[in-house]
Amino acid sequence: MTSPVLNVSNLVKRFPTGRSGVFVNAVNGVDLSIAPGETLGMVGESGSGKSTIGRAVLRLTEPTEGKITFDSRDITAIPERQMRPLRRDMQMVFQDPWSALNPRMRIGDLIAEPMKLHLDLSKSERENKTIDLANRVHLRPEFLRRHSADLSGGQLQRVCIARAIATNPKLIVLDEPTSSLDLSVRAEILDLLTEIREQTSAAMLFISHDLGTVKLISDRIVVLYLGSVVESARTEELFRNPAHPYSQSLLSAHLPADPNAKLSRHILKGEVPSPINLPSGCTFRTRCPVAKDFCEREVPKPHQIGTSGHEANCLRIPDGGNRITPSEVA
Amino acid sequence: MAETVSSDFEGDATSKPAFSLKNRLIGIARVSPTMAAGILIILAFGVMALFAEFLMPHDPVSAYHDRILQPPSAEHWFGTDGNGMDVFSRVIYGAKFGFGIAIPAVLLSIIIGVPVGLIAGYRGGLLDEVLMRFFDGLRVFPSIILALAVVAATGQSLLNVVLVLGFLDSPVFARVVRSEVLALRSSVFVESAKAAGNPTWRILFVHLLPNAVQGAMAQTAVRAAWAVRISATLAFLGVGIQAPTPEWGAMIRQGAEFMVTGQWWVALYPGIALILLVFGLNLFGDGLQDLTDPRRRAAK
Repeated sequence: MTSPVLNVSNLVKRFPTGRSGVFVNAVNGVDLSIAPGETLGMVGESGSGKSTIGRAVLRLTEPTEGKITFDSRDITAIPERQMRPLRRDMQMVFQDPWSALNPRMRIGDLIAEPMKLHLDLSKSERENKTIDLANRVHLRPEFLRRHSADLSGGQLQRVCIARAIATNPKLIVLDEPTSSLDLSVRAEILDLLTEIREQTSAAMLFISHDLGTVKLISDRIVVLYLGSVVESARTEELFRNPAHPYSQSLLSAHLPADPNAKLSRHILKGEVPSPINLPSGCTFRTRCPVAKDFCEREVPKPHQIGTSGHEANCLRIPDGGNRITPSEVA
Repeated sequence: MAETVSSDFEGDATSKPAFSLKNRLIGIARVSPTMAAGILIILAFGVMALFAEFLMPHDPVSAYHDRILQPPSAEHWFGTDGNGMDVFSRVIYGAKFGFGIAIPAVLLSIIIGVPVGLIAGYRGGLLDEVLMRFFDGLRVFPSIILALAVVAATGQSLLNVVLVLGFLDSPVFARVVRSEVLALRSSVFVESAKAAGNPTWRILFVHLLPNAVQGAMAQTAVRAAWAVRISATLAFLGVGIQAPTPEWGAMIRQGAEFMVTGQWWVALYPGIALILLVFGLNLFGDGLQDLTDPRRRAAK
């Protein structure tokens, strides 16, 4: 097996709250691994730490603990000066394309910027490549002379994607790239990303709160809850056989494409606990319909399910009580 | 640096009508009549400064020994001074000093202040504290006394006046730029620039500067008014520029002696010129600030 392009082990990120000794526990010991060319989907509610993980992986936020290995190189603590040349191989697409682009720069210059920074090209080579990139993201070349205020959200996100693929990176982190866009535009951007995934060899970390979106694009999915991974499986396997009660309820909230499909839903009760005071033991136990006494005391470890690399962190897997009995809805 | 900042994609997608000063002025006058008045005053003095040689009826520094302290007449519109020099010609020539000090002084303030504001705002922490406390320290002294002391100590020359004024006023630009950068540094496009692999100097000068410089630009006219005022004050106090140089402050100093004996024209006309130019610059500067600050615009 080839070595992963990205490996994250025991990543912890705590943000200070202003009061001494009180922290927001955004990420609590996350392990991740992405193979070259693989697309890993990361789902979780807002506050589950998914964006923080994405930003920490690119060293846009400093991890509190843990180790990040990119392309077999430990990048956890290297200074920004050494980080900069590596950024050629790791790019990012942000959630809100309106604010992710310098409003004073021309679109063409924005797309060309990563090439200007990392590749040794003549001005005309760079211009030609910029036009190629615009074509690849289906952006009309006349937009290259405009500024971001003249473009729509979908067009701007195409610009961001063109920027991200300009240097042929090994990893692209996409932080909810479609969630701020209209539904029809969202589908176009997803199609574009699927296309790019097939054209390039870049691995992707696709962050989203929407299972449907992640399902379309990911080879594998990790489910996050309160800054911890609760389940990780290949996409089809997760949808066929979700093992963690949280994944099961997430999937039951996800509408299938078939309008005649019988809906069996399980809606979670209560609120997500505060990341300042995490519940003891299994952090999901306060909302878990199948929680037992021991869930309060013991921290769940990953359980292997089958041989496809499917793992779930639930204490009730050994006794088989991890299944939520579905309540049928008409 | 110039190469990296320039655009590969020059040329506008939409064609703009040709620039016309008259149409511009009419447009501005509709929005803000005071700003248009300010521009007209500045333009008038600008013409005086540029074409003084053609506008002056007499040499500003040649003395008519037989015409000392003559009142305004057809030959000497603003009268003559204690040396028998033509006050009208001297007032016109004085515009050269007004602009000649104010423009380079403000440029120097910008060259010092803007990069300091950028770095202090972006880096934050100890560097920010040290830089800004030092600049606050500069602002604590009454600027006229500090300028007086420094010019007196460094030597009486026009260049020293420009350097001192430019340095003393740089905190104004540093503050404005720093506060803009503080608001911008956590914005997504700056993070996106960092993620793309931009070195710090490019984040500062290519990404932050064009977005943070508007407030500083709005200050330029008001700071030029300040520079005109302070340089005239220094000359009035006899520091920097000396009589019989045709500088307004120096002329007012010379004329002040004759006020008591009734020869009012020697001090009055350079005084009016000074007030008008400062007033015009302030009107224009106020208009600039209104245009760039949406809160001030909304209040009108």
